[in-house]
Amino acid sequence: MPLMATETSRRVCTLSRRSFLTALGGLTAATVFSGSPLADSLLSRDAAESMPLFASAFKKADGNFGIGIVDELGQVLAQISLPGRGHGVAVSPDATRLAAFARRPGTFLIILRPFDQAEPELLTADTGRHYFGHGCFSKGGRLLYAVENDFDAARGVVGVYDISGPQTRRIGELDTHGIGPHDILLSHDGRTLIVANGGIETHPDKGREKLNLETMSPSVVFLDAANGDLLARHGLDASLHQLSLRHMALDANGRAWVGGQFQGALSETPPLVTVFSRDEMPELREMPGAVASRLQNYIGSVTANAAGDVIATSAPRGGQTLFWDVANGTFLGTQAIPDGCGVAPIDQGSFLISDGNGGLSYVSDAEEPAEILARPPGFSWDNHMAAFG
Amino acid sequence: MRRLVIAAIAVCFSYPAASEEFNPPLEHFIADYVRPAVAEFSQSSAKLPDAVSAICAEEKKATISGFYEAFTETVRDFSRIHFLRFGPLVEDDRLSRLAFMPDPRGTGMRQIRKIYAAQDPAVLSPESLRDKSVAVQGLTALQLIAFNKYGEVVLGSSDETRDFDCGYATAIARNVASIAAKLETEWADPKGYSAVLLSAGPDNERFRTSKEALESVFNALVTGVIIMRDQDILPALGSSAEKAKPRRFPFSRSRNAIIYLSGELSGIRDAVNSMNLKPLMSESDRWVLDTLGFEFKNAQSYLDKLTPPLRLNFGKDGSYNLTAALAVTLNAIRDMMAQEVAGALKLAGGFNALDGD
Repeated sequence: MPLMATETSRRVCTLSRRSFLTALGGLTAATVFSGSPLADSLLSRDAAESMPLFASAFKKADGNFGIGIVDELGQVLAQISLPGRGHGVAVSPDATRLAAFARRPGTFLIILRPFDQAEPELLTADTGRHYFGHGCFSKGGRLLYAVENDFDAARGVVGVYDISGPQTRRIGELDTHGIGPHDILLSHDGRTLIVANGGIETHPDKGREKLNLETMSPSVVFLDAANGDLLARHGLDASLHQLSLRHMALDANGRAWVGGQFQGALSETPPLVTVFSRDEMPELREMPGAVASRLQNYIGSVTANAAGDVIATSAPRGGQTLFWDVANGTFLGTQAIPDGCGVAPIDQGSFLISDGNGGLSYVSDAEEPAEILARPPGFSWDNHMAAFG
Repeated sequence: MRRLVIAAIAVCFSYPAASEEFNPPLEHFIADYVRPAVAEFSQSSAKLPDAVSAICAEEKKATISGFYEAFTETVRDFSRIHFLRFGPLVEDDRLSRLAFMPDPRGTGMRQIRKIYAAQDPAVLSPESLRDKSVAVQGLTALQLIAFNKYGEVVLGSSDETRDFDCGYATAIARNVASIAAKLETEWADPKGYSAVLLSAGPDNERFRTSKEALESVFNALVTGVIIMRDQDILPALGSSAEKAKPRRFPFSRSRNAIIYLSGELSGIRDAVNSMNLKPLMSESDRWVLDTLGFEFKNAQSYLDKLTPPLRLNFGKDGSYNLTAALAVTLNAIRDMMAQEVAGALKLAGGFNALDGD
């Protein structure tokens, strides 16, 4: 089943793509750099060309971590090393800046300007805080919101950073009204921040140990982006209190599709995907039992296609990526990708899926085999991939 | 106090033991699989430049078959090492420069057409070739210029393009031979990546324990099985027999698809066997290696029943169903390695699946 309601309008522009690659020096070895301006190749990119690019954290076979930028054929155009394992990448509204966050409980945040002759800016979390791996930009791109752990108070916060000046400044923080916040989105109108409070308490002194599985209470909150006021807070039924609400994507209607990770018994198969909106009750989404039983109750990332009418939810422990129809909330099908987790929209009807075995796969139809576009040797793509450019 | 001292001594002695526990399978793997396999690849690819020179000097039956043989042997030996996606093979983009795969959108062919259109002299020496795109440097590129789509050797046969074809083919052959020689040298070096794998511990930046080192190797072998099924076979099978695309089998253009698939299968099998993992498993778990061996044999039996060249014969004599059965068996092999064997050894696998976030 094609992953869109109407015929695919995939952007195929062979000629411009070719000239783009020419400008980049073709598929020559990607520029490896650390701490220097992002690949020279990207500097010569013609802004008029609407070639989609993708950014993802990776681990290399030599044990090093970084962020890679790939094109829609899965070729690595640029890479930058990170001081530790990364996680999510946020993209500014004008797609000129990227923010890469440390995986929890890491404390680095790197801001990249891939198309400028600019050094990456490395920030460290405030004392008493660490990052959770996700963030987002404000509508105008002046502010960056980073989800953080106030670990001594076991309280989630959103760090607010002003990135408009020559140096980024942390100018405040907002309460997430929950524990273990993970993913964060900005509403389509830019006025509301949506935060998934995973509900799991952790403390850096205890590494990644989960400290409150018996009492955890995940939620999705809607915050006023202007002042942090709590506009709405939605939880799930008490029977689902161990379903950690973690990753999200907005559909075309502005509702947040949230993928969960169930901390209870593996013998249970609770619903893992829920749709939240500010003023309505959460809606659980159902998938066929035969699919649910293969996922080990774990959704790794959630992404919408370009039109926001198809949602993809990856389940790396089950080696499956699931697709959902936004209009009627139904399950569209699943695609087998071993250790696949990062998912980014290519266009209206297709997704790029990255996996831990280095593969980058093109999926446009849940019933056709995924097309493996590339597998850069030595790369393990980490949990998330973001589209930009 | 006495108990404390004993405990302290136990800690001191147990740490090295724990950090080296999995060194024996790694030592066997390096000595009995990797070094011989990269040496064979180095030897076969070393013959490639002369074979190109010979066919280019005079195109006749003997030089054509000589080139075909040298190319086939190089592909066969490459198929047995391409899944060693760590250490020397991934440094300096070597693997992509040896063979640009997968290439579902024909990037290699597109770039080669551009090279021909421009008569780009940079591809005529291995030194300048290495600055070109990785897609035009290796065996996949040589296959495109040396064979036609019917699997016939065409290198040296065109009066019009012979000089350019031969110059380019020679540069590729020398490039491949040079990379293969480096692989052999670096794997043979006891202070090279072998030492990284075998010296796990607090001073080793890559591996703290030998278990981590074995995990990285073992997971690469599992990835090799995934590549063979998902990347080398499924695209050719398509969603049905009617939609099969046998040209998508790797190295099918040079009639080497079955040789390549057999090489990667036997390579992964031999690499697993070289580790002699049984002594590391409990008695009750050892059956998994026997069952795995049985499945490898099944997989090879399907390949043995196929008639080369696959690109031309695919669809005849039940070959589609045989290959589909091979894909199913590879799935079983993958599951058995990733779950049963790794489980019996308590090895962690799956980068994203593991300790997710």
